[in-house]
Amino acid sequence: MTRPLAATLGLLLAVPAAADVPPAYGGTIRIALPSAPRVLDPARAVEPADLVAVRALHAPLLEIGADGRLAPGLLGEVPAPEVGGRLFRLRLAPGLRFSDGTPVTAADVGASLARLLVREPRSPHAWVALPILGADAVQEGRAASVAGLRVLSERELLVTLAFPLPEYPWALAALPAAVVSPRGAGAGPFALATQDGREARLAANAHHRRGRPFADALVLSGPDARGAARALRAGALDLVLRPEPAGGVAVGSTPPFLATVAATSPRLGAGAVAVRRVLAALDRAALGRLFARGPVVPLETILPPAVVPGAPPRTEGGPAGPLPPRLVLLIRAGAPDQRALAERLQVKLFDHHVRASVDEEPPARFAARLASGDYDVALVPVPILALAPAVAAGEVAYAVRGPAAARRAMAALAGAPPAEAPARLATLARALEVVPLVATGLRASATPALQGVAPRPDGGVDPGDLWLLGGGAR
Amino acid sequence: MRLLTVAVLAAACAAAPARGAPRPSALTSTAEALSDALGPPAEGRRALALAVEARVPSLAAPVEAAVEGALSRRGYAVTPLRGAVDPEAAARAGGQDWLLRVQAGLVPGRRELALVGELVPMWASFFLQRHPGARAIPPRLVQARADADPETLLLGREGRRAGAPFAVVRRLARLDGRVLALAVGEVPDVEGAAIAAATPDGERLLSAAGAPIAARAADLGSARPVREPAAVIAIGDYGRGRVAVQHAGAPAGEVLAVRDGRLEAVGALVAAPLCAGEAGSLFGAYAPGTGALLDVLSPRADPDARPRSPRLLYRVAAAPRGGGPIAFAALGQDLRLELLDAGLAPAGPSLEGVGAGLALADLDGDGTAEVIASAPSPSPAPAPRQSTPRADRIRILAPRAAAPLLLESGPIEGAILAGAAGDLTGDGLDDAVLAAVVATPDGGAATDLYLVTADPREVP
Repeated sequence: MTRPLAATLGLLLAVPAAADVPPAYGGTIRIALPSAPRVLDPARAVEPADLVAVRALHAPLLEIGADGRLAPGLLGEVPAPEVGGRLFRLRLAPGLRFSDGTPVTAADVGASLARLLVREPRSPHAWVALPILGADAVQEGRAASVAGLRVLSERELLVTLAFPLPEYPWALAALPAAVVSPRGAGAGPFALATQDGREARLAANAHHRRGRPFADALVLSGPDARGAARALRAGALDLVLRPEPAGGVAVGSTPPFLATVAATSPRLGAGAVAVRRVLAALDRAALGRLFARGPVVPLETILPPAVVPGAPPRTEGGPAGPLPPRLVLLIRAGAPDQRALAERLQVKLFDHHVRASVDEEPPARFAARLASGDYDVALVPVPILALAPAVAAGEVAYAVRGPAAARRAMAALAGAPPAEAPARLATLARALEVVPLVATGLRASATPALQGVAPRPDGGVDPGDLWLLGGGAR
Repeated sequence: MRLLTVAVLAAACAAAPARGAPRPSALTSTAEALSDALGPPAEGRRALALAVEARVPSLAAPVEAAVEGALSRRGYAVTPLRGAVDPEAAARAGGQDWLLRVQAGLVPGRRELALVGELVPMWASFFLQRHPGARAIPPRLVQARADADPETLLLGREGRRAGAPFAVVRRLARLDGRVLALAVGEVPDVEGAAIAAATPDGERLLSAAGAPIAARAADLGSARPVREPAAVIAIGDYGRGRVAVQHAGAPAGEVLAVRDGRLEAVGALVAAPLCAGEAGSLFGAYAPGTGALLDVLSPRADPDARPRSPRLLYRVAAAPRGGGPIAFAALGQDLRLELLDAGLAPAGPSLEGVGAGLALADLDGDGTAEVIASAPSPSPAPAPRQSTPRADRIRILAPRAAAPLLLESGPIEGAILAGAAGDLTGDGLDDAVLAAVVATPDGGAATDLYLVTADPREVP
């Protein structure tokens, strides 16, 4: 844990019952998100709205405490590295149950980690399981089960990694490591009641390991910015989590953990270095300030400064070919601010006599084109869900270059002293052929009646801790 | 044989105090004890001038009467001196053999009447006749104490000085950890009133001054988890013990007693002990899986008691002394405080915006309990840690429509989330103690206990 991150946590985490009244139970909390939640599977959710919903429905194996350190979650203790950081014993806390009442077992933990490696549909969060021994064989179809996962008992799972990674428990604290029952139930504070294209309705989970949440129900929807502000003002919403402020009471913002990096394609050849130099010379602070709607920080490394303190960007050395006269700028549809950033890059590239066209693709198509190299420059948004540099670097590498690059990135940063992390990340950025740009977050606007809003260190808000004054008696 | 039996019974009756006979008053007891300490008069020196001073003027005359009577019974010829500027000179001028100067008052923090006497010889020393003020023999000090009965407490209670506040609030003690609930009452083997505190880790018993007496680590292994720890604790008549507690999520309540300096479970309760006062105890129940109470107020531990309404409660408080119009108060999650009489019927209009640090106490002794409560000012913004600490206030509200504010304290660091009432200063009237949870520099929590009292001896 870096000191800046600890400082961030200190500012954003509130002690429970910090208000002058104890939390009240009951009521329905209505939350507006940048979009209506659609993907509620922790193995597949990447959009901010989906991640909020997943946080409400599922529980990760480990939590991050108020002091910024790992804390027990579904695991009764934080596993200590054995065999030089290659072996971890995962012991579940006693008495855990999914929201459907079935017990949470070590086999469920193993299955949840293994499902991140299935080939079709590919999980964007396979980086959580990639360090496990035999993960590559499963991903490549050479094995049916993950060799590094061994169930020792109802409550104990032995995880063997393919390479030393003492920071691996940080991957277990990430949301994609949440345990899902064979029937799809989660162990989060809420359980899914109904879902349609407009909203998801969630009901309190009486089996949650910390006790049932304060609210009886959550309603998650995705109105546009104007509609959200209007509804908040009219008392039809309790919380708005969007990039832009929505009125009401400003209750802080999530840390900027949606990192956007620009990746160049191998098909640019020698011109790729020249393009990256142009992008690296951009004033990223101005880029964020002018073209991102929410809280934003410039990226000095491929990770947000809350994970790794910034270091002056280093100009990429080595020979560079001529800039290409034209290039295709690939962006993902639906990701906040990507279009505005891309248009600014267009202008800057044009200043260097490069005509860039913007291709906006839906997530699946974007991922396919990225994987096949069908682009010249791609803006890749990566929600940083792991807070250890080694694991988070693997997350970025996996999003941009795939599993092999992710393993190399994690191995390269494993056990790195904090002082060395910026330099190693700079080296990694060159190896990945990416230029870090900005990281963005969401602002939280609430009604005065909503209490317990304390953005988590990984950028989410724990819906189980939200409560309404008077228990929601309106 | 029959005559012998009657004689034995008569002797036994004479030896034992008659059942139901009134105990001597504190005034009589202390006067007799003081007179015993003086002993009978020496032959030829029986004339005694008696000068009584008391911290409270209303106590002086009854003490004088009691001491005069006790001394007379021991053979003294007593002449009261009242209002003399120089009692010694007055006694000497009156030809008295002795001057007994008595100071009387209630012992702070204890419900005791204390008398301190100074016996000064008044006859002239043969060898020091040129020095009329010289004493023939050194003076003697005598003193006596006795438990104060309500009448003595009434007489000994100091009046409020002109311009003095209705009550004072001062910090009593700091406890490690977070106090969830408080109770005040009398516990066997503990002198004066005791404070019982429930924390997430167990229970603690403290003296009226906040000093630790006994503690217990709770075994909550069988408890269902609740997102925010909560507990109820009460001191009253619970059979084998006087302290009763239930933590939210625990399957049952427990009765605790002090054994060898520790709190030990001596019984179980099938309902949550909400509070206890002279009007009786109330029992309730937690809403399943939560730290909120159902609106169940039952005078018996009845697991089948039905809620009065669907609303959930934060706290239920009892006035320590019965007889007044308000015996209980129930605070809902909506911060609406319902005032109830001993029969649980409404005892006045509900008060709005009352905080969860709550106690009912007749601070001024007018027979009606006041509401002592924190001042809720919830904010959705997370409190920054280790920056500006949160501040709360203690308010004393008259239990009438519109709840006139009798006193509001200055800012108090922390969040005040628990309270209780009882006589902690020993003046015979109720005081309140409230618990403010504060963050410690190491990221943990501590609790400051604040005393709220109208005892004029506490007023600076």
